[in-house]
Amino acid sequence: MIRTLVHLALAAPLCVLGLAWQRHALGVDPQKALILESGIWTFNLLVLVLLLPIGARWAGWPQLLRYRRAVGLWVFAYATTHFTFFLSFYLGWDFARLAEEIAERPYVLLGFAAWLVLLLLAATSTRQAMRWLGRNWKRLHAGVYFALAFAGVHYLLMIRSEWAWPVSYAAIALVLLTLRLRRARRAQS
Amino acid sequence: MTRVTDESTFRRRRFIAGALGLGAIGAFSGLRYGDGVSVAKETKPQQVASADNGMLVSQESGERLTTKYAATHYNNAYEFGWDKTDPYQKSGAFELKPWQVTFDGLCAKPGTFDLDDLMGMPFSHLEERIYDFRCVEAWSMVIPYNGRPLGDILKVVEPLGSARYVSFTSVLRPEQMPGQASAFSTLDWPYVEALTIEEAMHPLTFATFGVYGDQVLPQNGMPFRITVPWKYGFKSPKFVVRVTFTETRPDATWHIENPREYGWYSNVYPDISHPRWSQATERRIWNEGDIERIPSRLYNGYAEEVAHLYPGDRQQYR
Repeated sequence: MIRTLVHLALAAPLCVLGLAWQRHALGVDPQKALILESGIWTFNLLVLVLLLPIGARWAGWPQLLRYRRAVGLWVFAYATTHFTFFLSFYLGWDFARLAEEIAERPYVLLGFAAWLVLLLLAATSTRQAMRWLGRNWKRLHAGVYFALAFAGVHYLLMIRSEWAWPVSYAAIALVLLTLRLRRARRAQS
Repeated sequence: MTRVTDESTFRRRRFIAGALGLGAIGAFSGLRYGDGVSVAKETKPQQVASADNGMLVSQESGERLTTKYAATHYNNAYEFGWDKTDPYQKSGAFELKPWQVTFDGLCAKPGTFDLDDLMGMPFSHLEERIYDFRCVEAWSMVIPYNGRPLGDILKVVEPLGSARYVSFTSVLRPEQMPGQASAFSTLDWPYVEALTIEEAMHPLTFATFGVYGDQVLPQNGMPFRITVPWKYGFKSPKFVVRVTFTETRPDATWHIENPREYGWYSNVYPDISHPRWSQATERRIWNEGDIERIPSRLYNGYAEEVAHLYPGDRQQYR
């Protein structure tokens, strides 16, 4: 029951976006709106999934941890949607141009790298993969912080002159990374 | 839907632009003020009409145009904000009248002129030109502009032989332009842009007083902007209040902001990649949600008319 609600809540932004697209409510250039919005929601959910363990600890709600996989898979779904829009609208599914874009433009490279990390994590999110990878599974899935760092810089590189939103998101990413590093250091000592 | 402008349409469009340019040199030998006043030949603007299939086409040339709705609700005018909808949403307080433009620097007859004097004729008698507008962000529109060649205006103030560049300054009104008052923008206001004197005098360079026969469009840079169709859109300054002739190369807002991304010339070169956007193709916006990816063209399709301005390696004119 709760799980279903969680999934519905996570799917809602994508549904709203799809509906708005269908109803021509995304303005003159829906392609650009779809790319921006799907990117922002990827970031939102990425932050959310990393807040879960922190929330569980600070608020004393260990139940939150049960939904990590669900949120994580939705992060991948949003990232894939974002990437698909980019491939379709800006590159017309021209994979040779994708290779050029990745080679020439750091923001594309970072976005692509973040998506690859998320792909790897989604692919190894099953119980089977957990068993198979054993202790390495945790290490591998700490890679989500790489995705976060890549996404933060990816967004920062989009700044042309207005910096408020990208800088805010990058700051949130930085706080999350710092908390994680501090915890890792404490665990070591 | 894929629709790449076929060669015959393309040729016809260029021919029209060329013919209008040549005709205008004769017609606008003088402005209403100053010596040698000549009344411009009446040129009734082309009417634009909707074809049966809902596409907007030019009655005269039959070529497809971007709808007025799209061209007036999707704009870059950082003076009003960075979002494409800010220019029409946040320009309500902007006062279009009165408007004066000062011409100074290296010219024999500097002065300040009212907009009506710059037009030199009723607005409805101005020439209408259909240009491809190409943004550096790799989207484009086809827009009917109302105006006259900038060169005809510049001749009246008599630039000196030493004038090698023309600098344009936009209006500074943070109280009417929220983007200029924004704390989150790194741009310096007012906006400045510049052309070489040859570029400014070129018959395609268009002093623009309206689009789609409409003057009341601050989101499109009215009441007075300069349109330079073979360059990326930011080289076509909006809300111009000052035109200065100089000997040394003037600053340009986006170029100062990031010289690596925004070259001083910023001609449309599809083969020269921009650090942020590939320029090989563009997204042609025809109407709300009606967008088509098409190959970009050298000098935005105006190579025949302007390539001679740029001898040698094109890299230096990026």
